[in-house]
Parts: sequence; C-alpha cells; structure tokens
Amino acid sequence: MFQVQGLVKSYGPLRAVDGVSFTVAKGELYGLLGPNGAGKTTIMSMLSGLLAPDEGRILFDGIDLAGEPLKVKAQLGVVPQEPALYENLSARENLSFWGGLYGLSGAPLKAAVDRVLELVGLTDRAKDPVKQYSGGMKRRINLALGLVHGPRAVLMDEPTVGIDPQARLNILEAVKQVAASGTTVIYTTHYLEEVEQLCDRIAIMDHGKILAEGTLDELKRRVGGRDIVTVRGSFDSAAVMPRFEALPGVQVTSVEPGRLVLSVEGSGRGAVDLLSRVLADGLSIDGISIQPPSLNTLFLNLTGRELRD
Amino acid sequence: MRLLVHLVAKDLLRKMRSPLGLIAVLCFPLLFAGMIALAFGHGDSIPKVRMLVANEDDGLLANGVASVFTSQQASKFFDGKTVTTAEGRALMEQGKASALLTIPKGFTKDVLDGKPVTLRLLRNPSEGILPEIAEQTTGALTDILDGGRRVFDKPLADLRPLLDDDGKAPADADIVAISLAVKRAIEGMSNLVFPPAIALESEMFDNVKAAPQPDEHEKGDAPSSIFLLVLPGLAVYGLFLVADQGMRDVMTERTLGTLRRQLAGPIAPESIILGKAVYTAVLAGMAIVVIGGVGAAVLSSPVSIPAFLLLSCALVLAVTGTTAAIYGVARTERQASTLGNMIFLAMGFLGGGFIRVEGLPPAVRGIAPFTPLYWGTQGYRALLENGAGVRGVATHVGVLALMGIVFLGIGVAGLRRTARRGASA
Repeated sequence: MFQVQGLVKSYGPLRAVDGVSFTVAKGELYGLLGPNGAGKTTIMSMLSGLLAPDEGRILFDGIDLAGEPLKVKAQLGVVPQEPALYENLSARENLSFWGGLYGLSGAPLKAAVDRVLELVGLTDRAKDPVKQYSGGMKRRINLALGLVHGPRAVLMDEPTVGIDPQARLNILEAVKQVAASGTTVIYTTHYLEEVEQLCDRIAIMDHGKILAEGTLDELKRRVGGRDIVTVRGSFDSAAVMPRFEALPGVQVTSVEPGRLVLSVEGSGRGAVDLLSRVLADGLSIDGISIQPPSLNTLFLNLTGRELRD
Repeated sequence: MRLLVHLVAKDLLRKMRSPLGLIAVLCFPLLFAGMIALAFGHGDSIPKVRMLVANEDDGLLANGVASVFTSQQASKFFDGKTVTTAEGRALMEQGKASALLTIPKGFTKDVLDGKPVTLRLLRNPSEGILPEIAEQTTGALTDILDGGRRVFDKPLADLRPLLDDDGKAPADADIVAISLAVKRAIEGMSNLVFPPAIALESEMFDNVKAAPQPDEHEKGDAPSSIFLLVLPGLAVYGLFLVADQGMRDVMTERTLGTLRRQLAGPIAPESIILGKAVYTAVLAGMAIVVIGGVGAAVLSSPVSIPAFLLLSCALVLAVTGTTAAIYGVARTERQASTLGNMIFLAMGFLGGGFIRVEGLPPAVRGIAPFTPLYWGTQGYRALLENGAGVRGVATHVGVLALMGIVFLGIGVAGLRRTARRGASA
C-alpha cells in the first residue's frame, strides 16, 4: 500500500531524514521506533503530504503523493502527536466537522461519529466541550478524529505521549481494533513495549536512518541471543577495552569514559562468565547491568545507547 | 461550495461558543458614540456654534469672511450674527456666544495691498467643543485666504483700482489682463511662502459672567443626532476590529494545530483561506446589521436602503481584504495583532473615524482618502447627513471594492505562505 523510496529531508545542515525507504502492506501495522529526534515525525509529515521531501518519493497504492496529493490525502487518516482539537466544541461537533471535511454528511456522518465515539469509549461524554476533558480523553478524541471518515490507512504519530497508563491502554486497545478491521496503520513511538505489543513489522530509526527492519522475531534474532552488558566504573575505558575484546564471545559495542557496552554471547551464561572475569581482574566497578535480547538490546547493540538516552 | 459552507459554519459555531470578544468589539462603537452624545448633555440635537462677527471693515473681502458664518449654507452648523465690537464683547461677557470674530478696519485694503493683517477670535471658555469648532473653521478660512492672497497677488493688485472706481464696469482689456494674471498665478502656486500674511489670533475670553444654556429655540434643529454624527466613523473603525477577529483565526488555528490537520486532509490551502475570508465577511456583515439596526432605531430621517446595502457590501469586502493583507504580511499572531492595532488606530485618526476629516490639519486630510476607513465613513455620512442615494455613494463603493480586491489579493498570497508554514510546523 505504501512504498517509501529514498526519502531525504534536511533543515539547513541537519539531515533529519537520510535516505529512508520502506514498504507497508495493506492491513499491516507498521511501527517506526526511535528516540526523540530520530526523524519519525518528519517522515510522518512527509507521508501525510504536509512536508515535501527534498529527495525520494512516496507512493500510495501506486499513486505518487506529490503528483496527486488531495487524492491520496482523502484516503488517509492522520493522528498528530499533539491533540489538534477545537476545545470550545463538543467531541461530537469536532468529529462532525472533521468527518464533513472528508465529504461525509447526513446519516453516514452520524453513524461514523457514533462508531468512533464507541471505539474510544467517549459516547457518554460526546456532548461535553472538549475543554472539559482530561489529557487522556483529549488523546482519545484526537485518535477518533483521524478515524472518523473511515480511512484506508492511518498515520499515528506517538499518540500515547504524556498520558496516564489507563488512557494509554485505552488508546492501544483502539489501535488494535483499527488494525484488526483491516486498516493499514503506520505507528511511531519511542516506547518499546508499544511496538512489541502492536506492530506486525518494526523499523528501528536513529539520526534519520532506518537501522534495522523486520518483524519482532526477526529483529530479536538479529541480536542473536546475545546479552548486552554495560559496565560502569572509574577505569580507563580505552585501556581496558582490549582485555574485553580478547574474551571469547564478547564484542565491544560502545566505548565511553567510565562506560563500556559489550555484546556477550551465551544468553545469560556468557554474561555471568564475563562478570566473574571482570571481578577477578580487579577493575574498579561501580555497576554492571545485563539486558537479555530485546529490541532495546538491539538498539543498544546498533547505536551504543539506550532508546531513552 | 459545500466545503466552504462547512468551514464557515464551524468557525461561526466556535465564535458562538466564545462570543465575548465579538460582543465587546461590537459594543465599542455604540458605547463610544453614545458617550459622546451624552457628553454634549443637551439631548440628541446638535448644538450650533453661536458665532458673533464684528465686521469693522465692511469691505469686499471682510464681508466675504463674515458671510462664511452668517450665510444660509453655514446655518447648519453656525448660528452666525453680525454685531459691533462692543455688542459682541457684551454678549460674550454674558456667555451668550461661543466665539467672537473681529475683522479689523482696513482688512480688505490691507489684503489687497499685500500687507500683513490679523483676524481676532475670542472664545468662550465655558463651552467645550463649540469654540474649538469656531477656531478650527476660522483657522481653515485664514489658511485659504492667505494662500489665495499669495497665489492671486498680481490679479488682486490689478483688481484693486477697479474696486475703487465707483462701480464703473471694467473694460474688456482689463478683464482679459486680470484673467491672464489669474492663470499665471495658478501656475505659480508653488511659490507659496511663509510666514503667512494673514494671521488668526485666537484667545480665550476671560470675562464671561455666566454661561447660560442656549434657549430651546437657539438649539440646533438639524434632524440628525450627535449619536448619528459620530457613529459612522466609530462603526467603520469597529468593523475593522471585528474583521480582525475573523482573520486572526488563521493564526489561532495554526497554534491549535487544526490548520495543519486540515491541510493533511483533502483540502487545498486556498480553500481554507477563502473559508476564513468568508467567515470574516460574515462577521463584518453581522456587525453592520447590529450597528445599522441601532442606528436605524435612533434615525429620524429615512436612508436609501439600496445605497446602504451596496456601501455595506463594499465595506465588508474592504475590511476583509485589509485584515487579510495584515495577517498575510505578519509572520506570527502577535506580530499581526500589533500591526493590526497600529494600522486600525492610524486609520481611525487619519481616515476620520474618531475626528471628522474636516477637522483634521490639511496635510493629514490629504492622506485620508488612501484609507478604506475614510471611504466607508464618508459614505455612511453621505447617507445619513446628505440623504445620498446609490449614485451619491457610487464613488465610495467603487473605491472600497477596489481596495478590498487589491488587499485581498495581497492577503491571500501572504496567507498561503502562512498555511504552508503551518503545515510544516
């Protein structure tokens, strides 16, 4: 459904998106995972036709977005990161306006509004002005606005940022239902557990590039059953690095003053062996953390830093 | 069209939910005009300037000056009376006049001889605005006389012997010579110099014993009220404030993120801008209905409805275009607000919104026609004060429509840029 080819977007010297390509099949829930500043929102802006790429192109069902933007936009739903609502209108009035903007009217519009209110669990508050809603409720209505016209594909840009766990759960549940109904979803987040829970395929991004892409299992396999061991202490990282590299099954991923990140073979056993050696060598250690294979360890393995750094 | 209606309906619904700003702006011209009317304190009729003219000269030019205040045409605003200097001072002492203008003996001869002369104006300190009107009018008259005397220096010199010639008809050759001199004088108008040769000395009369209210029969009997006299200028100014609220919504929606969201939908930036322009026009139209309704309630003489509607439509186009241009030029909501307030206030003063154009200094008066506020105000005044019909306001309508179209063009171009920035924000 979506074919993204060689997208590039620069802001002055900063290359916010640097040659990104991916495809998303019909009915797929595709996750873009990366820390803040990775370029996720810029990609979403380009996918929704709000921002023109410097290079590359976006095809939706074979239609070039740049060539026929209104035709493509009519089939998309957009859920922006920050709720974009008319606060002095009610949820129903907001939904009716946005539905009407996409050409719905009369009974079909009313039915669509009722459907999405039900989906996000706000039917009983539909007549209240949005300004009376909690942050979580605003997020839910923000999601509903992107769905009211029944789009074939929805672009969701970090729809759960800054809300309480209960509201987040509601939104994730709604996203699952949307995907289950056959709607294609592109979902950006920096929460690992969200993509693990939701997405069929995941692209891991940093500094405007896709570092890895695949299903959750495929990505975990890329870590290769290796633990990520982070060693912190008052030692000269550069000096001790060769000692770790010389150990069997150990790869040094990142070297910083007083901090080494190592990829260790052996699913738990290897990390324990490494720990014994480190202690035996008499290094001044402040702390050691061991992370089993996961998307975070993959990200750490790929970038040398954690997703939340 | 359906999309346009949908966009405008949404904006009107939002405005209905938060109407305070609009109500405040709508009330401004009504309250302000009402306060000015109340400040005069004599009901709703316009008091006339009680002008005394002591003509000590009785020459041709002196009589001309005196007639400015005592003629039939002046009777709408002046209750002019010719007196001797002594009578004039006595009436001033009794507080029975707004001002006393003394035209000195030898005025006509001195003007024709090119000698400096001075008109003297005594003003009644117990009256507020009326002596000021007398001073402004006399000042303007002095400027005209002074300019005329300089421009027509040569023909006046030629004319003087003829005036002294005991009423004998001048010869054809004299008339031709004077006509040529007038022509040359007009061509040489650029040679005006300062200081003026005819001056006005104005001072407050400090010997008023009492300041009685004018008798009922001395009150102005013009049908229009002070409220209606000041309302057009303030109402047109108020319309700009109303339109500002409408067009500001482009910036507000950019801040809310709803502009970006709309642009992510199947809608062109031009449609959104057009929607805002129509919304602004609807708000301005509603404001005209409200203010016009209040005006009609206190109006004692009929106004041409077709002319009123035509003028109002042109004015709505002009205020929409003006505000669109302001918001199109500005980069932020704050910038637009500051720029808008400055422009509206300047137009209010320069265009005759707050002070009638006739009361403005000549240099400022020349700027007024470049503002849409001037044409709107003058158009409504023509309807209210002169009973003008469609033909009477045709120029106003044409100029306003032209200004509206030009400004709207500038505004749409600028707002497209704003929309693009809003999309990529």
